[in-house]
Amino acid sequence: MSQTLAIARRELSGLFYSPIGYIVLALYLLFVGLLFALMVFQPGQLADPGPMFQWNHLILIFLVPFMTMSLFSEEYRSGRMEALRTGPVTELQIVLGKFLGAMAFYSALIASSFVFVIILSLFGRPDYMPVLTSYFGLLLMGAMMVAIGLFFSACTEHQILAAMSSCVTLVTLGILCQGVASLLSIYIRRSWAWAGWIQHLLNYLAIEPQMANFARGVIDTEHVVYFLSGTFLFLFLTYVVIESRKWR
Amino acid sequence: MPHPAEIIVDRLTKTYGKFLAVDNISFTVESGSIVGFLGPNGAGKTTTIRMLTCYLPPTGGQAKVAGFDVFHQSLQVRQNIGYLPESTPLYPEMRVQEYLSYRGRLRGMDHRRLRERIPQVLEMCWLSDRTRWLVGKLSKGYRQRLGIADALLHNPPVLVLDEPTVGLDPAQIRETRKLIANLAGQHTVLLSTHILSEVELICQRVIIIGRGKILAQGTPAELKRQSAGRGGAEAGLLVEVRGPAGQVRSALDGLPGVEQARIVSDGPVCVLQVVGKLDGSLQEQIAATILQRGWALRELRAAGGTLEEFFVQITDPGAVAA
Repeated sequence: MSQTLAIARRELSGLFYSPIGYIVLALYLLFVGLLFALMVFQPGQLADPGPMFQWNHLILIFLVPFMTMSLFSEEYRSGRMEALRTGPVTELQIVLGKFLGAMAFYSALIASSFVFVIILSLFGRPDYMPVLTSYFGLLLMGAMMVAIGLFFSACTEHQILAAMSSCVTLVTLGILCQGVASLLSIYIRRSWAWAGWIQHLLNYLAIEPQMANFARGVIDTEHVVYFLSGTFLFLFLTYVVIESRKWR
Repeated sequence: MPHPAEIIVDRLTKTYGKFLAVDNISFTVESGSIVGFLGPNGAGKTTTIRMLTCYLPPTGGQAKVAGFDVFHQSLQVRQNIGYLPESTPLYPEMRVQEYLSYRGRLRGMDHRRLRERIPQVLEMCWLSDRTRWLVGKLSKGYRQRLGIADALLHNPPVLVLDEPTVGLDPAQIRETRKLIANLAGQHTVLLSTHILSEVELICQRVIIIGRGKILAQGTPAELKRQSAGRGGAEAGLLVEVRGPAGQVRSALDGLPGVEQARIVSDGPVCVLQVVGKLDGSLQEQIAATILQRGWALRELRAAGGTLEEFFVQITDPGAVAA
């Protein structure tokens, strides 16, 4: 356990040492600020920060890959993986340590958006319970995103390749799934059963509907299960990739 | 030897696809000794070391480090080994002290032990004046020392150092050598290098590996003697004398223990090669004879028989003639 935390701590400080961490933080605040200004902070509107959280993933799918790209890639490239692997730590500890370190940074990232809730509360009286569930949802979604980023970082020693592959995956989940599903509903005849199935599947995989519920203050086990199983799946795949590398 | 073997390698083999990197090698390293692991580039040194440090699983055979099997008890092996990889990978954005404390925590050392141990290894590796420096700002020599400090941090019984003096200046090489020599006794050291003078100075035993196989092992002195033997007519003593070559030759030929004396170069100062039973007394006799006759002895040294010659001979049999 202490080894896992040592790795997590190093990854967290590594993100704060590098310019990437600050760029991600700055861009996040900038775009959340835009969401807030355009969709929430409008005259005559309810003091509801919901839209800001509902669409938060559109920013994060482009930022999380840059946060996670170096987690393993840089270790491979610099040869530090050898120093890490020859220490008395298991592959599981390495994977979990890196995941927790990135999650700690991610938590700080989403926590920074609380400043907009504070601004809102100066002008109105927002309902805080949906804010709480929104953060809970963002944390769950972030766990899956970080796990996906971690997996692609473990696959290659080129950071850019890792960032691009995780970005493509996240864009697929965050935008494409829903887009294709709505296209299907327009162009495909209702009578085709398989089209309905695919549409259902795509809608289930899409991130936005899940986040919409969290933003509304609903914690649906279906969404919790979705994000948690995604997280476990990609953490497991990362573990498999790390474990298999030594046999090559 | 009263000491138990700390590293036992038994028919270890590693293949990368069809390429045989390490071919069925066996050797042991006694507790508390420094063993030099030599070989030309691509001989399989690093692969062997990576198997011993549990970075690569062996394809065949087995190895035990500090009494634990590298494959089945890899975690215990890694706890008992301090390893300096060839490339000395470090985190450039961390500070020296911070880096060591991270590496210590990774090995499960608690805060108290770290506070006691970090200043010790910093002192041992002459790093005390760089505690607050960023690793990325350190010169190559300091980075290498930090790598060694890292390997020593948890006071492991076994140390594996892969080319620890690469990239250091002569003064640093000497210091590092001194440091490693000081480690003998409490630590078992497997030192991979291709600097032969280093091996002669600090290693009790030498293992030479080439094309994945062990070509020779023994003490540096033994290997040097073997080299003299292999060289045949080339070995012996070289005597440089100011005097008439012919007379010197017949004078030396008459000495007991001399099989043959041969003129290598003629002139006012001649060089002769003496082949015979090489014990200390032969040199003394030759020197005494030359001085008795009133000639001037300029140099008397063993021809051939350096570790370097042996290394070249054994790793590439085609190069003996040269």
